[in-house]
Amino acid sequence: MTTQQPPLSQEILAQCNQQAMEPWGSRKLRQSRQGSISTLRSSLSRDQQQQQHPRYPLLLPRGFLPIESSSRSPNISNPNSPFIRRDLVALTKRFSFGGWLQGSRASFSGLPLHQPVQLENTYKTEPEKGCLFKASKVQKLVQAMLDSYLDGASYNAASGSHLSQILSDMVKSKVKEISPPRYKLVCQVVVGQNRNQGLRVASRCLWDSQHDDFAVAMFQNHSLFTLVIVHGVYCE
Amino acid sequence: MEEYNSGEEVSFNADEASVSVKECIEGIIGGLDYNQNKVNQWTASIVEHSLTQLVKQGRPFKFIVNCAIMQKSGAGLHTANSCYWDTATDGSCTVRWENRTMYCVV
Repeated sequence: MTTQQPPLSQEILAQCNQQAMEPWGSRKLRQSRQGSISTLRSSLSRDQQQQQHPRYPLLLPRGFLPIESSSRSPNISNPNSPFIRRDLVALTKRFSFGGWLQGSRASFSGLPLHQPVQLENTYKTEPEKGCLFKASKVQKLVQAMLDSYLDGASYNAASGSHLSQILSDMVKSKVKEISPPRYKLVCQVVVGQNRNQGLRVASRCLWDSQHDDFAVAMFQNHSLFTLVIVHGVYCE
Repeated sequence: MEEYNSGEEVSFNADEASVSVKECIEGIIGGLDYNQNKVNQWTASIVEHSLTQLVKQGRPFKFIVNCAIMQKSGAGLHTANSCYWDTATDGSCTVRWENRTMYCVV
């Protein structure tokens, strides 16, 4: 009996490898077979099992399969037995199907999730219609903020750096509230003392000009000037 | 001045970017005095050349390059930036350069 078992498991593993090469349409079958591969891993080398993993990086964090097999078969002493393996396949098939549909946050055995969540591809390359970064709206908001915050302020060497940091955080959080989803923001603030010197600020960007935009607001009084540039970049 | 990732999991290398930007600045305004007529052209050239050098690195990033040139007159200048992005992949670098008559911040 014992001499027959290793050839049988290798045969099944070979079948699993073949069927794992099937296209995405047979996802359920493939998941169940990967569940069975995990039980075989204890007796066979790790190389074959590891070959399976790179194909499904988003759905199969490495730590899951051992937990799955151990939690589902607490009383099984010999996972190589063909009858027990079929039960395991059935169990893992049920749980893996439900777990993967719910997303990578599900924990099959109820244990807390220790691995970072990997988000699936949304296949979105553009923002929704009407969800673009509205430069004019952001410009009005930032201008109003500057006018209200800096009205009557005067330049002070000690507080100048603090003021620029506060302004940039404030502008970023305000613009974040009105910016559409999937947009990254970059907020730059320049604060300087007004002494009739010359200053020139230029900006150039390599981005998608249809979806990415920027807004500029400026404030000056007798003692200081402030320039705020906000760039909104779409995140694919 | 900063980069934005648009796909793969590569993180921004600030040191490499700052080295290439510094070379661009030196090449364009190194050894020159502040000249109000030419400062427009200087800022435009600095940002263009810096962007070209960054693109030549071949990374899968979007770039935003800002350049400020200010005449030295005893006045103070502060810059700050605040960014809402993915810190694993995105980053920024700032290069400060000065000579006898002007400051340049990229």
